[in-house]
Amino acid sequence: MEEKKLKIMIIDDEHIVGKRLKSALESSGEQVETFEDGEKALERFNESPFDVVVTDIRMEKIDGIEILEKVQARAPKTKVIIITGYATVEVAREALSKGAFDFIAKPFKPGDLREIIQRASNELKF
Amino acid sequence: MAILETLRLNRSTHSVIRSFRIHTIRFKKLLENANILLDLFADGNEKLQGEYILDRHYVVSLIDRVIERLGMIVYDAAVLSQDAGADLYRQYDQQKIAAECFISGEKIGGGEDLSSGDDASSPPAMDPEYRLLSQAISWFHGKGDETVSQLMKKAMINGMHGIEKIKELKNDLVVDEIWLKKSESRIFLIDLWRDESSPKREKQSIEAFGSLPLTLILKEALNDMPSIRPHMEMKGEWIIVAGDNEITLLSVNPNFNLRLDATASGYEASDYIFVSIDGRLEPAKILPQGFHMEKNGSGYFCWKIDASFDAIKEDLISIGSTLFG
Repeated sequence: MEEKKLKIMIIDDEHIVGKRLKSALESSGEQVETFEDGEKALERFNESPFDVVVTDIRMEKIDGIEILEKVQARAPKTKVIIITGYATVEVAREALSKGAFDFIAKPFKPGDLREIIQRASNELKF
Repeated sequence: MAILETLRLNRSTHSVIRSFRIHTIRFKKLLENANILLDLFADGNEKLQGEYILDRHYVVSLIDRVIERLGMIVYDAAVLSQDAGADLYRQYDQQKIAAECFISGEKIGGGEDLSSGDDASSPPAMDPEYRLLSQAISWFHGKGDETVSQLMKKAMINGMHGIEKIKELKNDLVVDEIWLKKSESRIFLIDLWRDESSPKREKQSIEAFGSLPLTLILKEALNDMPSIRPHMEMKGEWIIVAGDNEITLLSVNPNFNLRLDATASGYEASDYIFVSIDGRLEPAKILPQGFHMEKNGSGYFCWKIDASFDAIKEDLISIGSTLFG
């Protein structure tokens, strides 16, 4: 029987973040889709929910908090991990209070995010 | 008015003490800011190695923080040596323009000129964000005379000149003389608690002088039981300016230049030792381990800051032992 892969959605309007994370997480065997546009990401999520959503908190069209709220409304079991910048840690704490699974501050090592995803995966009983 | 000018013109005990303390506090602040600037360089270098996920915002924020900290260093140096203030600020303005060029994407040279790659397997150095970081790092402390690091060192040198003028002013200040038999050193001592109107004093022990860093730095030499005599002819090898918790030591010797600034209080949040030596001396032969070292045009700046009181105490004893023991 084929092992079920964790489905991860990455949303960040900085191209380099999605590009590097996709490469790093796929090498660990995860199924990864990346989006630079939050609205398109939500359309895709509504079509087919993901197990984990990793989203930047500050984006132009739609911010990470709104994504968190819409993801939770559509699929309450999905774990949302917030990526923050240097000056947005307070906002990330707000995200935690609204149900985000965890947050990670940029710059970070892919291994640090993998650890958070692993904890999320354990809670999802993968 | 520069601090040393104030020292010369206002000879009342309180104003001398106050002016020297302003100098000490400001110079310590300059060192703290230099340390933070070097930490920012190190952070950028670490992120450049390619292990980190970063974005343009990180690089822009790093450049902003470097410029902000450099401005604080220039301000510190301008307070310490106002003669140099205009030139330092002019150069600082040039660095701010350089920062704006980086942030706006206008190429100003430095760093590797790599084309952008969009392949996820391409090395991070091919990404525009890493390329920008690489160029910024070269501007921070790469080769050349117009780096942030060069201006930081220039500001430190100018900041030092403020107190170096004490050599010219020593006759205006109250000076005692200490003869250390063991090292055959003559020390001209400026006591921040006395001025010309203070009563003359005869022999007095160094401990009674009441300066903790002075006691520590002369600990080994004190075995010789030095005597403090009233000021005689100025032909010494060292000048020491000492307060309760601060000390400045300056060599007066044609063969080498050494300057040490330190605080040793035990109750300050962070005592420090700063040593500037010229190229004729080797830092490793004078200083204990654990000092940060920066090469400059004529020698080295070495400092230890945010260290424990015990560590500073041991280092002062060790340096004093090397110089006078």
